[in-house]
Amino acid sequence: MDAGLSEDELVARAREERATIASRYRLGREEGAVIDSWEDPELEIYHTTDRYGFIHDGRLPQSRTKEESKQLDLEISRLPKWLKMIKSWDKYWGKEKFIKRVYKGIPDRVRGIVWARLLFLDQMKEEQKGKYEEMRRLGCKWSTDVRQIDLDVNRTYRDHMMFRKRYDVKQQQLFHILVAYSMYNQEVGYCQGMSQIAALLLMYLNEEDAFWALSALMASPKYAMHGFFIPGFPKLLRYQQHHDKILEKFLPKLKKHLERNCIDSGLYTLKWFFQCFLDRVPFPLTLRLWDVFLLEGERLLLAFAYTALKLHRRQIARLDMDQILDYLQKKLEKNFGYEDDYVIESLEKAMEELRKAKLDHPGAPPDHELPQQPFGMFTEPSVEKESGVRRDFTEEERLITERLMKRTETIALNGSHLSVDRGQSPLYSANALRLNLCPSSSPSFFSLASSPHCPSLSCHSSFSPSLRCAGKQNSIAVSHAPSLHHLSPPCHSIIHPSPLSPPPYALACSPPCLTVSPPSSLSSHSSPSLSTPPSPAHTFHAASMLRVPHCSSPFSSPVSPPLCSSPTFYKVSPSSSSKVPPPIGHSVFSFPTPISPFSSSVTASQDVSVVFVLWL
Amino acid sequence: MAQRGGAQRPSGGGQGKICQFKLVLLGESAVGKSSLVLRFVKGQFHEYQESTIGAAFLTQTVCLDDTTVKFEIWDTAGQERYHSLAPMYYRGAQAAIVVYDITNQDTFGRAKTWVKELQRQASPNIVIALAGNKADLANKRMVEYEEAQTYAEENSLLFMETSAKTAMNVNDIFLAIAKKLPKSDNNARSCWMLQVITFKTGETM
Ligand SMILES: Nc1nc2c(ncn2[C@@H]2O[C@H](COP(=O)(O)OP(=O)(O)O)[C@@H](O)[C@H]2O)c(=O)[nH]1
Ligand SMILES: [Mg+2]
Repeated sequence: MDAGLSEDELVARAREERATIASRYRLGREEGAVIDSWEDPELEIYHTTDRYGFIHDGRLPQSRTKEESKQLDLEISRLPKWLKMIKSWDKYWGKEKFIKRVYKGIPDRVRGIVWARLLFLDQMKEEQKGKYEEMRRLGCKWSTDVRQIDLDVNRTYRDHMMFRKRYDVKQQQLFHILVAYSMYNQEVGYCQGMSQIAALLLMYLNEEDAFWALSALMASPKYAMHGFFIPGFPKLLRYQQHHDKILEKFLPKLKKHLERNCIDSGLYTLKWFFQCFLDRVPFPLTLRLWDVFLLEGERLLLAFAYTALKLHRRQIARLDMDQILDYLQKKLEKNFGYEDDYVIESLEKAMEELRKAKLDHPGAPPDHELPQQPFGMFTEPSVEKESGVRRDFTEEERLITERLMKRTETIALNGSHLSVDRGQSPLYSANALRLNLCPSSSPSFFSLASSPHCPSLSCHSSFSPSLRCAGKQNSIAVSHAPSLHHLSPPCHSIIHPSPLSPPPYALACSPPCLTVSPPSSLSSHSSPSLSTPPSPAHTFHAASMLRVPHCSSPFSSPVSPPLCSSPTFYKVSPSSSSKVPPPIGHSVFSFPTPISPFSSSVTASQDVSVVFVLWL
Repeated sequence: MAQRGGAQRPSGGGQGKICQFKLVLLGESAVGKSSLVLRFVKGQFHEYQESTIGAAFLTQTVCLDDTTVKFEIWDTAGQERYHSLAPMYYRGAQAAIVVYDITNQDTFGRAKTWVKELQRQASPNIVIALAGNKADLANKRMVEYEEAQTYAEENSLLFMETSAKTAMNVNDIFLAIAKKLPKSDNNARSCWMLQVITFKTGETM
């Protein structure tokens, strides 16, 4: 990275840095510890601590404590039952009564004990005595993740009593657990997102138990978070797809609404799945979810993702893209809007619903999501890893990235489909279309690249809030539309830049099935002048959509379009060359053969998608 | 055009234009990406800004003459592991702020690789700004202003040293980007819209 340093020097420097960081955590807050003033919070008096240890502004509404005390009373009344169950664990564990009680919430005082039991921590510790110590020691010396872990410990739940003071006991433990784990499971190492999980575990478990709890969450098939955190995040994609399936089946309207607003589930599920809703719902509810998560395993993630959306579907339906993301990212954390008990009841119902539909679980994970190497084996890190030189993507990562983007595009495309509303406006011919336009904040799914004939022009690809053209030339770029190739049936695209005619320009893609001709009412219609915005009739009329005076493609082997001086109507047909979709990044433009301009309607001879590009 | 349902019209109209731009923040972990966004969007600074998992989305609107520019901001996670998700966020972005920490030379190196990647893979006309953040920690400076400025000039990047903590240059860098972004004017009609319509077999329009 630094031109000046050799690989050896980089490695030496990284080792030194590691040693310094590790020694700071060893020292903790003892005398002589170096703690920058900015790293330490000043103790401000206007703070109050809630029962979970989080520090809030003193101005918290008083009503909260009322609710809290009610909850407290309830927990205290349940405590004897729990103590009894803990005492004869084997008698109760897994029984209906036990499960019911977990759903009702494990009293906070015994939460740690119960979590430890649910995760079989005693067995794990017993089987691998001394392992944690060993991993901690090796990790401090060798883990290449020390630097990132240090950065993240410094900003993990600093609003919680335990993690407030720099290098204080719990910060030390958090650091050591993560460092040890990064050594223990080198495929995962350390990934951002794990520090909050480990911190949560530390709120209820001691250091070594928290380490094994983290390990159980990662590697036990019941939770299998390993697949989420390894490079490329393969499980994330699989879960997102399953989540989409669930929405498709149970919340199709909401799904359409999200798609119309171009919200791919990838945008909100990542944190939900990686951290089991930490920081996305209020903390007390998070704990209840974690109780169920530890009991039921990974299916909780899908079930609660569904539940959360289901409970809020009406509110979400009224929001647009920004607001939805804000709602899911922030609002729900501040106030979930329903009492915890009601939420958990809804969750139970949702689980049942999913079970009946056989959608409660996405099935066995593919091999590559599972740990491939034995845990706890020490290997010296490679020079590349140690020097921190940026590596290229692995094949796996590249694949995942590609699939993710394809997904996003496909969803955006679906979203566009859905926003079309076939109206019966008198302005249009009887069965003309009224377009219900996506706000320009919606991502588009096209990469419109600049054409060599129009270099000043720029348009943007997926997630583009508004496609725009910097140039004054009245021609437009050609779609590169990789996404279309992923659709089925494969679509081919053409675009209709026109130096003469007014907007709209159209881009059509289809299997060879659209027969186009101007309806009689407009057959003799001439182009409106540039200064007048197109009337809806012009805008959406098939005839004007498909006028192709001139086409050019910026890509390597464009099919030359015919240059026309007068409007001509074309039949849209796919590339003659092959039925195989072209590779991403290459578009096949199928240039149309003229068809009779005077028949009167457009009829699709099979399902077809037409993509319109409109000026605004 | 009036028929089209004013509420959904993203731009145009008589009283000044509204332009929306997608902006992405990239850079090594803990250089202050989230803090810059928080400062810009909410005017706040948190000493213990939580780390970003995946990405976070925020919006902020600024006014430039008669144009209202709305930024849709994607704040990304800095860890290398999340690099594989980055294209999802910078794809289609009209602007990017690549952030480094002036007290850490490595983060400047990483910023350069981000710039390279954007130049290769992002939209060709993307406006890239380089932000040397934590300028308030000048006594710990490891990256010289001139070094970064020279690099920025060579690569036609906007460049500013910023501090999310003191707010220095934070609004300014976003404003500078807004100014540099091509905005629609009446001659170059510049807002596009794509729309897909599916016809089922036999349907006529
Ligand atoms: N002194 C100083 N600290 C900053 C500044 N910006 C961010 N930080 C701190 O740097 C740490 C990382 O910031 P964050 O915004 O989370 O970085 P990100 O990972 O790039 O999003 C936090 O502790 C911030 O408080 C700044 O301008 N000056
Ligand atoms: Mg961040």
